Amino acid sequence: MKKGNLRYVANVFPHKGYIWNYGAIPQTWEDPNHKDSDTGCCGDNDPIDICDIGNKVCSQGEIIKVKVLGTLALIDEGETDWKVIVINTEDPEAADFNDIDDVRRLKPGYLEATVDWFKRYKVPDGKPENQFAFNAEFKDRDFAIKTIKSTNEFWKALISKRTNAGELNCMNTSVSDSPFCCSAADADAVVKSARALGEQDPIPSSVDTWFYYEM
Amino acid sequence: MRPLLLRCSLCCSATVFGSFSASRNKLVTQAAGVPRRFYFRNTMPYQTEERGRPNSPDYRIYFKTSEGKYISPFHDISLVAETEQDNDVPSKKPKKNESEVLFNMVVEVPRWTNAKMETWEDPNLTDKETKCCGDNDPIDVCEIGTQVCSPGQVIQVKVLGILAMIDEGEMDWKVIAINAEDPDAKNLNSIEDVRKSRPGHLEATVDWFRKYKVPDGKPENQFGFNGQFKDKDFALEIIKSTHEHWRALVQKPTNSGGIECKNISCCESPFKCSADEARDVVESQTKPQENKGSLKQIK
Repeated sequence: MKKGNLRYVANVFPHKGYIWNYGAIPQTWEDPNHKDSDTGCCGDNDPIDICDIGNKVCSQGEIIKVKVLGTLALIDEGETDWKVIVINTEDPEAADFNDIDDVRRLKPGYLEATVDWFKRYKVPDGKPENQFAFNAEFKDRDFAIKTIKSTNEFWKALISKRTNAGELNCMNTSVSDSPFCCSAADADAVVKSARALGEQDPIPSSVDTWFYYEM
Repeated sequence: MRPLLLRCSLCCSATVFGSFSASRNKLVTQAAGVPRRFYFRNTMPYQTEERGRPNSPDYRIYFKTSEGKYISPFHDISLVAETEQDNDVPSKKPKKNESEVLFNMVVEVPRWTNAKMETWEDPNLTDKETKCCGDNDPIDVCEIGTQVCSPGQVIQVKVLGILAMIDEGEMDWKVIAINAEDPDAKNLNSIEDVRKSRPGHLEATVDWFRKYKVPDGKPENQFGFNGQFKDKDFALEIIKSTHEHWRALVQKPTNSGGIECKNISCCESPFKCSADEARDVVESQTKPQENKGSLKQIK
């Protein structure tokens, strides 16, 4: 959600919705105060994003273990927005995937589709095509792990209040030396203050709309 | 998240059917320039009834009229969709010009799903030796509109063009059409319109049909006309011709080729049966089980 409105990603032909399981790595943070030396842009104030290329369609909120394979350096609306390519460790083919070249070899077209998706996904909202660092080439596993480590360091600074959190909610129950650490009772109170589960609202028919355009 | 019932069976895209009833003498329109007249039944909305266990080989969808009479979706739904005006007043001239003719379409596979439905062949007969040029099925339709339909749903479509696929050595036309209710329908009147407003969609369509059986160990499919889409007029000629083939089929004294020709509306057909007999066919299947566990969400 942004600005109080529920958002649905547009379908930009030939892609319907998201073309991988999409999520984030916990305990990472792309610091908006830090200019990335590869992209030349500041972080997008979010955990680092992941695209899981495994076959299983996961559920919202599901926590899975993944193997890192590589990363794409997206510059999304002028902000650094790394997209780490991973595979669910439970995937039947996980053992065959150990680096980005394995993806190229075993799932031809998938990485190209991924670049295409990120380049164009905001155009239906009236925004320009996104840019990439490194000519939209995927960096390998080692590079990806370095990037993840670096965003983990940013997170550590955030959670220990060495960096200004701005409007980010840093409440946690397990980082004991964090000034934001709270008790289980505090955490319960937060959850109970939210409305009880109710009937789902209908999904707007706009999610079926297709956008076509040529680059 | 939207729950969708997963259907399991054998597949296709959607098919267009033809039907006529000589006893109901309402001349409505002359469709597609054919010298004969088409007679229309009063095409009320159709209903479906499920039997067997979804996602199992005994799963079936049966069709009925809004009055509850079982019908054959292959034979008892008219080829050309009736308009509201046609119900009461017989007209001698076509109300719309040929380019606005709408056809009925029975949806078999909703967009983005994978389950295929076996269509028309009697599952008890496996003899397929009479196949010559066609694939022994009603003609297939790819409906390119936005709305995701349900299996068994009957919609009205505008024909836009046609692709000449050769599937495992058999001619297998793919009509390109759009749901008449689609917000874009009025802007799409030809295959050129599709090319202009949906760049890449036709190419993706050829690509899909070329490759879709390769994971089953079969070779890529071939196409007539170098994989080019033919226009609406050509498509209408093909539909007309397959409609004629269908008429011959339902009028043949003996059933050959394993096609189920039972119908309740084709009066001249030796396969016409009563509504009670139709009900007996459906009753011989088991009722569907309670749906408690069978809804699955597809994202």
